[in-house]
Amino acid sequence: MAELTLPKNSKVQKGRHFAYDGEAEKPRTFRIYRYDPSADELPRMDTYDIDLADSGPMVLDAILHIIDTIDPSLALRRSCREGVCGSCAMNINGTNKLACLTHIDELKSGEVRLSPLPHLKVIKDLVGDLRTLYAQLELIEPWLQNDQAEPERERLQLPEDRDKLDGEYECILCFCCATACPSYWWSGEQYLGPAILLQAHRWLVDSRDDRTGERLDALDDPFRLYRCHTIMNCTNACPKGLNPAKAIADTKRMLARRG
Amino acid sequence: MARPLSPHLTWYKPQITSVLSILHRLTGIALAVGSIALAWWVVAVAVGGATFANTTAVYTSIIGQIFLFGWTLALSFHLSNGIRHLFWDAGYGFEMTTVNRSGMAVLLMTAVLTIVVWLIALIG
Repeated sequence: MAELTLPKNSKVQKGRHFAYDGEAEKPRTFRIYRYDPSADELPRMDTYDIDLADSGPMVLDAILHIIDTIDPSLALRRSCREGVCGSCAMNINGTNKLACLTHIDELKSGEVRLSPLPHLKVIKDLVGDLRTLYAQLELIEPWLQNDQAEPERERLQLPEDRDKLDGEYECILCFCCATACPSYWWSGEQYLGPAILLQAHRWLVDSRDDRTGERLDALDDPFRLYRCHTIMNCTNACPKGLNPAKAIADTKRMLARRG
Repeated sequence: MARPLSPHLTWYKPQITSVLSILHRLTGIALAVGSIALAWWVVAVAVGGATFANTTAVYTSIIGQIFLFGWTLALSFHLSNGIRHLFWDAGYGFEMTTVNRSGMAVLLMTAVLTIVVWLIALIG
């Protein structure tokens, strides 16, 4: 049964407020989810007032500015700062985004609210536990499986077959989509979710792969695949503009055609 | 202490995608209940006499009318959005601009169908 509210140990408390010292040129307030596993405390929302004139333009810049000048204890994942690594995915003002690709000026005026990707076990602050998602990725065997003898050079593919991978291979596994999906929130242990199913589809349609039948067998399950109810929150959230919902629908049709 | 669960439903911004999806489910449940009321009415027609008179009295009362209006809304929505789902199942309409437009179309259809049904009911 779906747990609509947060369990007792997850209720978010009021946190500390770090007011800006002096007159800010471009003031902005950030409210950030904090959880310290080493302290025996409930998670809380800390408030940071900063001057955007001192910070870069992106949400990630502002977070790093807060860490550098106010609170070095704030934890997050980040690496490339240009939308190719997928590390800094988080919930920004209610929807999942990459902090590095989100302009602060794009957001509605007022406070900027940051929390970890939804419905994950929190490791610390903005860092969610992605182990279930990685295990599910492993389950769909996301690598080329081919029974032919190894060619001298690469396995060739027609341009039109290669085109089928466009819009799928670009996924950076940031999991903005999976953690935006209500179905994944309620059945994430069994349902594979949009990110993993997009990957599964990417191998289903690869002309060089010989395991299409076995891959479909592995997905033909009331939970793994069919918990997708075409809610479309996934496609709405994807920071790379990909369409997991479409890939899932195509997988369902591949199974229906197979009979 | 066990690790907390990050905020989800109550913090995630409602959007046309998720709101219409949950409405589809809620109207489906409402219609399942409504089908009992419909079956009851058919039984009352067959039995006739006092049963039919009492049932008609309840169904035409203010509260009865409010429920019937609600079921008309629910049916109009579930039907319109169901057609939208058929398109998705056939592989069409997955681009976000289309999804948003078809969602608005569903809401418009819901209003139009409900108004048409009640106009016919009130005039006829």
